[in-house]
Amino acid sequence: MSSDLQSSNASSELQKKPFKEPNKLLKFLNSKKVVPYIFVFPFIISFLVLTLYPAVHGIIMSFQKILPGQVEFIGLENYSRVANANFYKALSNTSIYVILTVLILTIVPMLLAVLLDSKYLKFKTFFRASLFIPALTSTIVGGMIFRLMFSETDSSVANQIVSLLGMESVDWRYNAWSAMFLMVILGSWRWIGVNLLYFLAQLQSISAELYEAADIDGANGFQKLRFITIPHLKPIIIFVSTITIINGFRMFEESFVFWETSSPGNVGLTVVGYIYQQGIGQNDMGFGSAIGVVLMLIIFVISIIYLILTGTFKRGDE
Amino acid sequence: MKKSLLFLIIGLMSMVLIACGGGGDDDDAASEAEETAVVGEDLEDATEITFWTFVGQHMDLYSDAAERWNEENPDRPIKLSAETYPFEQMHNNLLLAVQSGQGGPDIADIEIGQFSNYLQGEVQLEPMNEYVEPVLENAVSSRFENYAQDGNYYGIPTHVGATVMYYNTEIMEEAGVDIESIQTWDDFVAAGEQVVANTDSVMWNVGTEDWLMDMWPMISQQESDAFNDQGEVILDNQTNIDTLQFLQDAIYEHEIAELTPGGMNQSEEFYGYFSEGGAASILAPLWYMGRFLDNMPDLEGKIAIRPLPAWEEGGDRSAGMGGTGTVVTNQAEDPELAKEFLAYAKLSEEGNIKLWTELGFDPPRWDTWESEEVRADNKYYDYFGDGIFDMLLEVREEINPLNFTEHTPDIISEYHTNVTQTVLRQNNQTPEEALKAAADVVRDQQ
Amino acid sequence: MNTKKENVALKWIANISFAIISLIVLFPIIGLLVSSFRPSSDLMRDGISFTIDFSNMNVDNYMYIFNEASQYWSWYGNSLMISGMTIVLSLFFSSMVGYALAMYDFKGRNLFFVLVLLILMIPFEILMLPLYQMMVSAQIVDTYFAVVLPLIVAPVAVFFFRQYAMGLPKELMDAARIDGSTEYGIFFKIMLPLMGPSLAAMAILQGLASWNNFLWPLLVLRSNDMFTLPIGLATLLTPYGNNYDILIAGSVLTIIPIIILFIFFQRYFVAGLTSGGVKG
Repeated sequence: MSSDLQSSNASSELQKKPFKEPNKLLKFLNSKKVVPYIFVFPFIISFLVLTLYPAVHGIIMSFQKILPGQVEFIGLENYSRVANANFYKALSNTSIYVILTVLILTIVPMLLAVLLDSKYLKFKTFFRASLFIPALTSTIVGGMIFRLMFSETDSSVANQIVSLLGMESVDWRYNAWSAMFLMVILGSWRWIGVNLLYFLAQLQSISAELYEAADIDGANGFQKLRFITIPHLKPIIIFVSTITIINGFRMFEESFVFWETSSPGNVGLTVVGYIYQQGIGQNDMGFGSAIGVVLMLIIFVISIIYLILTGTFKRGDE
Repeated sequence: MKKSLLFLIIGLMSMVLIACGGGGDDDDAASEAEETAVVGEDLEDATEITFWTFVGQHMDLYSDAAERWNEENPDRPIKLSAETYPFEQMHNNLLLAVQSGQGGPDIADIEIGQFSNYLQGEVQLEPMNEYVEPVLENAVSSRFENYAQDGNYYGIPTHVGATVMYYNTEIMEEAGVDIESIQTWDDFVAAGEQVVANTDSVMWNVGTEDWLMDMWPMISQQESDAFNDQGEVILDNQTNIDTLQFLQDAIYEHEIAELTPGGMNQSEEFYGYFSEGGAASILAPLWYMGRFLDNMPDLEGKIAIRPLPAWEEGGDRSAGMGGTGTVVTNQAEDPELAKEFLAYAKLSEEGNIKLWTELGFDPPRWDTWESEEVRADNKYYDYFGDGIFDMLLEVREEINPLNFTEHTPDIISEYHTNVTQTVLRQNNQTPEEALKAAADVVRDQQ
Repeated sequence: MNTKKENVALKWIANISFAIISLIVLFPIIGLLVSSFRPSSDLMRDGISFTIDFSNMNVDNYMYIFNEASQYWSWYGNSLMISGMTIVLSLFFSSMVGYALAMYDFKGRNLFFVLVLLILMIPFEILMLPLYQMMVSAQIVDTYFAVVLPLIVAPVAVFFFRQYAMGLPKELMDAARIDGSTEYGIFFKIMLPLMGPSLAAMAILQGLASWNNFLWPLLVLRSNDMFTLPIGLATLLTPYGNNYDILIAGSVLTIIPIIILFIFFQRYFVAGLTSGGVKG
């Protein structure tokens, strides 16, 4: 019908003929079939240019030895070198970091959010703001503050606390356990507020009636948490923990601020730090890319397993 | 609410603007914070020469030279724009630029430990032979060899980096030690025991991130190194094991030394510690003088500079450590001009004199060491007394060349991350075990 | 009766314990603030300490940064510009995509959504080296543009906008169509304003990401007067620099304005996040 209308319009109003072409084009551009592609188009272009192309290029580089003016394919040699003690050290540091931050950054913000949402608390805005404020500092600034707080002199805050507890001053940046502690506490400090907000957002979508019904059934606080709150928070738990896993594997700056690119006994070496150290610092881009590809595979596999285990894909199908 | 927000934003903006406006016109006041310099901006037809460095003070040398150059060569003026970056960033960016053939400067400083990275593949630097060869016989030639490959000299050295011992004379007197009596490392240990017994200070510090300022010079003194001249790893040879054993013993057996606060003697923690008399001596190259002037001004007049103790009587008493080779890249707009300017600024007699008078470096050309300009009064003589160059002339034949390979950074990184940790900090591995393990890691990468 | 008493006690416990938690979380920032009045090289030597020597405190660090550190303020300007560009561009691109994914049925929609999730998982570090080479050959190294470009592809924002737009009433679109609006008119005039809260929330998160971005600008920014704040400040952390005064006071001045802005805007921010919600 619409096409009829259009053709009759066109024939009856001849003076508008010059506009017929653009009209058709506009119409085409405005059809519901085409519009979504136009909306998506800029993103596709930027994805192709800024993500897909470099990703493919990176994978190709991982099979090359790249020197100024000389690029040669060397097959899997870069990959065979990935299996070395430093990489394992980096991977184990990164994995420990991921595990610890996933636990801390899921459980702590969730509990804080539940508390913050409860009727017992006053000054909610203030508490929420104060927990979020660390996210506003960059890792560089935050890291510098932590470096000064955990400086190895006796006069630093951390060592003053330690000596109050009757222990010897600690060389925070030089022991494996304290190095991990520094990275985890810096990462957690910065991200707790953000995750807290995600949880708060979801909590407010749980209807009060559910809790009222539970009250009538005589449920106590813990039961309400266990049977109402946590199940309703499940999607956000998955979201937060997935993001934390991915960010954990990509961690670099938390280590960089404490040790720059090389740390004593590699206590602060992370996989991305190793990429940076080898690919750029040691001028071995092929090797660096190979580590990157391995890291990418690890992240893919772990996140996909994680998402399957938590049933996220099933939900998507519904 | 809305109104207050508006005020807030306007307030913030004006704060930023005022600060920008106010900050613009006092460039001269912030001399130590200076990170960029431009000379010859107003000259017509000037060829632009860009220069990258990682030590802000190095720019002074070139700014000064560019001004003289433009006076002497009005027909070929240059516009020099110099830029300072943090150490790692400059080297990484330069590598990336060299690697991709684009985006690099005309002239750049490259730190000695990083230099081999730039000699891989097709070398993207310009050989400087026509300028280097004529002066080689009047200079500490081992410093030029550090930046050479296949007979091509690519880098112009900044200093000899003669490694010496700095003694805090106040502590030594209190301990009753005559520093002239310290001729060998055995004497050094004996003196150390006296210092520990009679004062609150220790004799010395061993660094966990100081390969350049204890281990390396000490093995170089004995004609050993991390690599031999064929580039094979010899980090775990007997000399090196014994030397590391000496460092471990200094801390745990003789108890004359403790670990360097901050891990290395170029750290704020260490400056504070040494100023307060925490230790009696520092092993460091001559260019470390600048650190005393900038960071430990309280010690003026209390520091004596002497050659290193020898391993046996008549043994070598110094080593050339650290350093920066300045290069011309093949991305230079006019490579010939850039080379000529670099030689003019740094390699000429006048350039070498400026290395001392402007920057406090021991210049590579020893034919300048006795010149009037070098011997004229300056702040270094005020601080350390005037025997510096006499001592240098005494030890100049005792400086051995170092062997660099593309794996030199790996050695340093293994030493800092693993060897010093287990041997010096935790004291749970023998020097032999640790050096063997480190050497094997590097061999695997070759 | 009994429960009322219990509730009062609980209230006290909850409020006090939260006050303690807030104090601990804010301690580092308070510590920095107080320490910024100490001589900077002392601070680097001794670290942040509980013991405060008031006689030793002064405003030298701030005097220095306001009077002599012109470079610091150019870093500040760069960070503001880059963050502004990133917010505008990435929000524009990703809101369109998120909206399209939520509102239209089209071929490849699911594939597209999976793609967005995949991008989320690719570590930026593997793209870094090839991207750098691209920037060099495009000759845009050392420009704002080089820093901003990779941040335009913002999968988290796409994801978030999709979730948010799914909650918008589709009837509005049909009504607008009957009134003769084009699809673009519907998006820009009707739906985008409705997405306001989510735009505010993402603006803050994207702005923060860009304000704090480190590794990438470190590679593509060359000249000191193009540096952003994190890079500029990191350059001062090296043993070669003796500019600790800028580092300490500069850090304070970097975070305080953002904190003030956040306190003012937080209700919009939280509203944006809350109304969105994430439905797994």
